[in-house]
Amino acid sequence: MSFPVSRRAFVAGATALPFLRIEGARAVTPGVLTFGLSSFPPSIKPFANTGTAAATVKLMIYRGLLSYGKDGLLRGELAESWAPDGQTAWVFKLRDAVFQNGEKVTSADVKWTIEQIADEKSTAFFRKEMQGVAAVETPDDKTVRIVTREPNVTIPRLMASYHLPIISRASDGGEPVGAGPFRIAASERGVSIELEAFDRFFKPGLPKLKGIKAVAYKDENLRVAALQAGDVDLIEYVPWQSMEAISNDPALVLDTTDGPFMFLVFNGAKRPFDDARVRRAVAHAIRREDIVKAAFYGRGSTLEHLPIAPESEFFNPEFKNAWNYDPELSKKLLADAGLGGGFTCTLLSTAQYGMHKNTAEVVQQYLMAVGINAQLNLPDWATRVSLGNKGQYDIAVMGTAADSNDPDGLSNFIDGTLAPSYVRSHGLKIPRLTELLAAGRTEFDTEKRKAIYKEMEKVALEEVPIAGLSWRSQGYAMRKGVSGFKNLPGALTFYSGTTFEETSIA
Amino acid sequence: MLGYAVRRSVVALGLVWVVATLVFLVIHLIPGDPAELLLSQGGFAPDPAAVAELRTQLGLDRPLPVQYGSYIGGLLHGDLGHSLLDEHPVAEEIALRLPRTLELIAAAALLAVVFGLPLGTLAALRAGGPADRALSVLAGVSMSVPVFVVGTLVVLVFAQKLRWVSAGGFTPFSRDPLEHLALLAMPAATIALGLAAVVFRMTRSSILEVLGRDYVRTAMAKGVAPLRIVVHHVIRNALIPVVTVLALHLGTLLGGTVLVEYVFNWPGLSGYLVNAVEARDYPEVMGIVLVISVLFVLLNLAVDLLYALLDPRVRHA
Repeated sequence: MSFPVSRRAFVAGATALPFLRIEGARAVTPGVLTFGLSSFPPSIKPFANTGTAAATVKLMIYRGLLSYGKDGLLRGELAESWAPDGQTAWVFKLRDAVFQNGEKVTSADVKWTIEQIADEKSTAFFRKEMQGVAAVETPDDKTVRIVTREPNVTIPRLMASYHLPIISRASDGGEPVGAGPFRIAASERGVSIELEAFDRFFKPGLPKLKGIKAVAYKDENLRVAALQAGDVDLIEYVPWQSMEAISNDPALVLDTTDGPFMFLVFNGAKRPFDDARVRRAVAHAIRREDIVKAAFYGRGSTLEHLPIAPESEFFNPEFKNAWNYDPELSKKLLADAGLGGGFTCTLLSTAQYGMHKNTAEVVQQYLMAVGINAQLNLPDWATRVSLGNKGQYDIAVMGTAADSNDPDGLSNFIDGTLAPSYVRSHGLKIPRLTELLAAGRTEFDTEKRKAIYKEMEKVALEEVPIAGLSWRSQGYAMRKGVSGFKNLPGALTFYSGTTFEETSIA
Repeated sequence: MLGYAVRRSVVALGLVWVVATLVFLVIHLIPGDPAELLLSQGGFAPDPAAVAELRTQLGLDRPLPVQYGSYIGGLLHGDLGHSLLDEHPVAEEIALRLPRTLELIAAAALLAVVFGLPLGTLAALRAGGPADRALSVLAGVSMSVPVFVVGTLVVLVFAQKLRWVSAGGFTPFSRDPLEHLALLAMPAATIALGLAAVVFRMTRSSILEVLGRDYVRTAMAKGVAPLRIVVHHVIRNALIPVVTVLALHLGTLLGGTVLVEYVFNWPGLSGYLVNAVEARDYPEVMGIVLVISVLFVLLNLAVDLLYALLDPRVRHA
C-alpha cells in the first residue's frame, strides 16, 4: 500500500509554511495604545484598594485633587493650589474642570467624595483616615477647607492617592463618574478594557492618545512575548529575568525604578522573636546580595536599613548599612539572648510568587548558618495572607511598596499599635516608634520632620520591627514608538498610570 | 426502560447534590477570607472595620448553615450567585467561558484525530519499518513533554521569534473570525500534540490487533483490494477503543486545560476556576465546579441510558 502524498508535495507544503503568517493578527488602530496589564482588575471601585492593576486603570479614568509629577513631587490636579490653614486645616483651590458626565467639578463633589469614604458602611481604603476629618467646608464652588481632628501634614499625600479620586456626586448610586483623561468604552471581564479619550479633560491638549486597550496577561512571560511579538505597545511588571533581553532589544525601551522592597516580619507576640536581640540577629544573618541575585536576577539592590529610598530627603546615609551581613554578630546576639545553641522556627512565605519563595529560600540558608533552623511554609497567597493576619508564623517574608516616598508611609509596616496585619510584625508594639511616627505626622516643619524620622529610624534599627532585605526593580517596557510614559520614581512606581495622559504613540 | 431512566436520573440528581455540598464545605474550610483578601491587595493593610463591613455586605458573617441554605436555595432556582469581587452573575460568566473551553477541546480533538488516526494507521500498516519507528518515537516524545513546555516553546518560536502569530489572547469569533481562529490555533495545537500521540498509539495497536484477525486474512485471501480491507474491515473495527480512550481524555480536559489557557491567555473555564480559587471567590468556585460536575454526571447518565438501550440485560441488572 502506498502513501497518497508524494515527497515533492510534502516539501512544497513545508516550504509554504512561512508564508502562512497571519499579518495583522492584532488590529492596529492609529492613536490607540495597547497596554499589557499584569492581571484583570478584580473591580474598579474608586475608593477601594483592589490591587495595582486596578490602580493603573483608576489613574486613567479618575483624577484626585493632587497627584505626582514625573519628578515624584506633588502637583495639582483638580486642585490648582493647596496650603495649610493653621495646624488643623488644609485649603484646596479647585481649577475649572468637568466630570465625564459634563458636570462641573465643585467643592460639593469633594465634600461628597470624602463623606462617601468616611461612611460607616464604606469599605474604602482611606475610611479611617477620612473619619479623622472633622469637617469639609465649602465656602464657595472652588474652595474646599478640610478640617482635621488633629494636625496632619499628610493630608495632601492622601489627596494624591489613587484610592482617593474625586467622584461626581451626580453618580450617587450609579456608576462612579470621574474627571480623568479616559473613560471606559467597553470591557470584557477577565480579558480587556477599552478606553477612549475624554475630549473635555481639563488639561488642554491632553490626553494625546485616542484610546487605550488594556489587555490582561497574567503570565509574565506571555506579557513579554506579546510585547516582543508586537501585540502590545507597553507592559507593566516586567519580569526580572526578561529585563536584560528587553534592554538589549533595539526596538524596545525598559524603564525601571527601585521602589518596592522585600522584608521580614516577626511574630513578636511570643518567644523568641519578642526579643529585639533575636530580631537583630536575623537582620545581621542574611547576605542580601544573594537575594537580589536569586530572586531578582540582580535587578535590585540590598536594603540594610528601613525602606527609605536613597533619593528621599529623609534618607539617612549613616544608617545605610546598619543591618549589614555579620554572622558573628548575629551569633553573639543569639548567645546574649540565651539561644546560643540555636533553635527551630517557621518561616512563612508563598509558593505562588517566585520572588517570595526564592527570597525565603535564601533567608532559610543564611539563618541555618547562624543556628536558626527555619522551616519553610509555602502555601498559596490567600492562605499566606490569612496565616499572617492571624500571626500563625515565627518569621514571614513580605514584599510591597510604601504608598508614597514620604516616611509616614512606613507606619503601615512598623507601627505595631495598628490592627494585626500580614504586612507588619504580629503583636510587636514599640511605643517609641509609634510616638515618633505620630510626631512626624503632625509636624509641618520639614527640618524638624527630618530629625524626627532620623530618630525613628535609629530606634527601628535597634528594635527591628521589620528587617529590610532588598529593593526590587519595578519595570515597564515599551516599544520605541511610545513616548511620554514614565515610570515614576521609587514607591510611586504604581502611580505611573498618571502619565498615560501625556503618552503618545508613533 | 422508563423506570430505569427515572432511577438513574434520581441517582444523578443525588450525585449533583453531594458534589454541591462537598464543594461548599471544602471551599469554606480552606484558609483565606475573601473580604480580607480583596481589601489587602498590593501589600496594604486594610482597616479591620472596612473588612468587617465588606463581610457583612457579602453575607459572609452569617452562620455557615444559613449560607448553605441560601446557596442550595439559589441552586434550586437556577441561581449560581454573584462574584464576591464585582457582583457579576456567575452563571453569566460560565455561559460565556464554557463554550470557549469546549471550543478549545473540540479543536484539539479534531487536530488529534486528523493527525493521530492516519499516522497511527500508517505506522500499523508498516509496523517495524522506519516510518513506524520514527512515528512511535515522536509519539513518545509528544506524550512525555509537559503541555506548558510545549506551549511556551510554541509562543517562543511562532510569536516571539518568527512573529507569525500573536503571542496569545482571545478575540470573539463574531468580531473577527480570522483572528479568532488564529488565536485558537496555538493553544489547540498544543493540547492536540499530546492527544494526537494518544490517538496514534491506540490506533496503531488496535489496527495491529485487527490485522491479525481471521476475517482480515480471509479478505486478503479472497483478493480484496488492500485499501478496501483497511477502510472497511480494519479501521472501522479498530476505531472503537480509540474513540473510548479519546472520550475519556476529552472529559478530563474539561477542567484540565488550565495550563494551556494560562500560557496562551485563553479566557476559558479552567483559568476562571484558578482565578476564583486564588481570590477565594466562593460563588464562582462553587458554580464552576458544580457545572463541570453536572456535565460529567450528564455524560455518564447518557452513556448509562445508551447502554441500557443497546443491551436490555443492563436494565434488569
